[in-house]
Amino acid sequence: MRLYEFEGKQLFKKFKIPVMESRLASNPDDVYNAFSEFNIPVVLKSQVLTGGRGKAGGIQFAEGANEARTKATELFKLTIKDFPVEKVLIEPKIEIKQEYYIGITIDRAKYKLVVIASGEGGVDIEETAEKSPDKIVKFPISINEDLYTFDALLIAKKIGIPQELIKQGASIIQNLLKMFKAYDAKLAEINPLVLTSDGKLIAADARVSLDDDATFRHKDLAELNVEHRHEEGEMTEREKQATEWGIPYLDLDGNIGMFPGGAGFGIMGNDFIHHFGGKPANFMDSGGGPSPERIANMLVLLEENPNVKVICGARFGGISRCDDFAKGVLMFLNNHGLTKPMVFRMTGNMWQEGVRLFEEAKAADPDMFKQIEFHGIETPIEEITKRAVEIAQEVGT
Amino acid sequence: MAILCDKNSKVMVQGITGGAGKFHTERMIGYGTNIVGGVTPGKGGQVVCERPVFDTVAECVKATSADVSVIFLPAQFVKEAAIEAIRSGIKFVVVIPEHIPIHDMLYVREEAIKHGTTVIGGNTAGLITPGEANLGIMPDIAFQPGKVGTVSRSASITYYVADTLTRTGYGETSCIGLGGDPVLGSTFAEILLKFEEDEKTKAVVMCGEIGGVYEELAAEVIPSMKTPVLAMIGGVHAPMGKRMGHAGAIVEGKMGTALDKLNMLDKAGAHPCKTFLDIPDTLKKLGI
Repeated sequence: MRLYEFEGKQLFKKFKIPVMESRLASNPDDVYNAFSEFNIPVVLKSQVLTGGRGKAGGIQFAEGANEARTKATELFKLTIKDFPVEKVLIEPKIEIKQEYYIGITIDRAKYKLVVIASGEGGVDIEETAEKSPDKIVKFPISINEDLYTFDALLIAKKIGIPQELIKQGASIIQNLLKMFKAYDAKLAEINPLVLTSDGKLIAADARVSLDDDATFRHKDLAELNVEHRHEEGEMTEREKQATEWGIPYLDLDGNIGMFPGGAGFGIMGNDFIHHFGGKPANFMDSGGGPSPERIANMLVLLEENPNVKVICGARFGGISRCDDFAKGVLMFLNNHGLTKPMVFRMTGNMWQEGVRLFEEAKAADPDMFKQIEFHGIETPIEEITKRAVEIAQEVGT
Repeated sequence: MAILCDKNSKVMVQGITGGAGKFHTERMIGYGTNIVGGVTPGKGGQVVCERPVFDTVAECVKATSADVSVIFLPAQFVKEAAIEAIRSGIKFVVVIPEHIPIHDMLYVREEAIKHGTTVIGGNTAGLITPGEANLGIMPDIAFQPGKVGTVSRSASITYYVADTLTRTGYGETSCIGLGGDPVLGSTFAEILLKFEEDEKTKAVVMCGEIGGVYEELAAEVIPSMKTPVLAMIGGVHAPMGKRMGHAGAIVEGKMGTALDKLNMLDKAGAHPCKTFLDIPDTLKKLGI
């Protein structure tokens, strides 16, 4: 879960990382009023969950209240990489003498946290990392260790923080790591950490991402008014609906509705569809052990998606049982109804019970199964995906 | 022969008294897995599936000599449970639940390395050594004793690969689910090297996925292996995911696409497969 800059800075403040005093505005009048409180030149920063806002015109400066309001009016009209600007952060403008970069992330391959620092902070840090790796300090550290002051001092020295601020620089690095661990962060960046012309260190921006799987133990985030949100950008209506139902779902531009089991075949099944010359309309994942309701909802998403011409299903029951799968499919057929052809394969745990449920329902109402081709373990999954591609081609023409 | 677990392994279940724990313990026993007991704090002295329940792993190990543990607990309890198992001398820990907090897995990994314990998961279907032991949630129907090892990120892919190997008569030595969570107890490379030491395993099928960091490490060990490795990577046609800020790019480099990963494994000497049906074809060509 990515935090807005203003949310990240609240965490910074809590961990004694210096930030400018600021006001958050939701409309141009708020900005006008905020300016009056500061009454010195300010910076107006669009709050969006994406990078590159400066280059997109999302950061403006103002020296008077009216100018602030006029520029804010323009900012609130902006959409930066699909993110409409809904909030603007107002801070006194700082005179920059030098920009540093401090970041912490997780090296998943080495199972370590890594503190990254550079004397050349700012928007081009990745380019610096690529072209002059010698200008980047990387300091790996185990999760169960703390960063000693002498190590933090050395990092601060290496990136060129001036002698009179070296202790403060070190403690900013240490505190960022404390925050990283305390809040189960995946990423925490101060970019830039600014040395102001009057000789102060200020975290001018905050980029923080927290682990969604650990928010259960950070109830105080709500007190800080940090709201829970989807990690990715704007979602389609269908993706929003799926998220509400707890189903990982992505719209794609093909016409074969994918109704897989877990994420693994969710991903690979889409490759198979391409391999046989078709195009999937979506990515989906039932999650482990889905309830019949969730299975039914997965089908509702596909039935109601006008791009979907045929549904391609696969259930290999592991923790997700075939009887629950069958119940879900039948729940959908009974309550909602199917207007599209569907081909699917079901095998794995409790498959006999799943087959029995389908046979019974079919005997009672053969019409309900008119458009359904149903396979078991005897048919390779490649045949199922190939068949879905064939049907899509027949229906498409 | 098998890796990590066979019919002689003494297996305990952490969370044996819970719904999923009980259901799958019964299934595992039904398969012939040597389940010797279970642990649920506060429920010591009870009996589940005719197996004794203990309050702590140490007590269970003392009474049953358990050396393998399967964890069926809600995600927030996994860190403590896994570290308890590792410190009590368990040599192989299977973490079934998904959504384990990333920092928790880092702690577990530190502990595992210190004690020489192998951990797989979170979000794994477990491990099966066909005909000998089934640890976790894998459906028996897909598997049959044989000569190919498999290691995969995803549960369903493990089943489809085994299903294919079984149908074409190759069968499997051991099948390992690495897990689907972002930080996992083991890497592909570590599991591949265990298969390399197993005489009965004539080839290994590894199935990676877009977005992982462990496929690249596999490419580093494959050139040193005698056992042929067949590789599949899911997500060749998936939209590229979001990456983790500047720091992510600096540490993990440019995140490889599925195709990049496949090419890298190909260069390392693995045999790339596009569909499951390519697997028996490739094995045949290799004279297996």
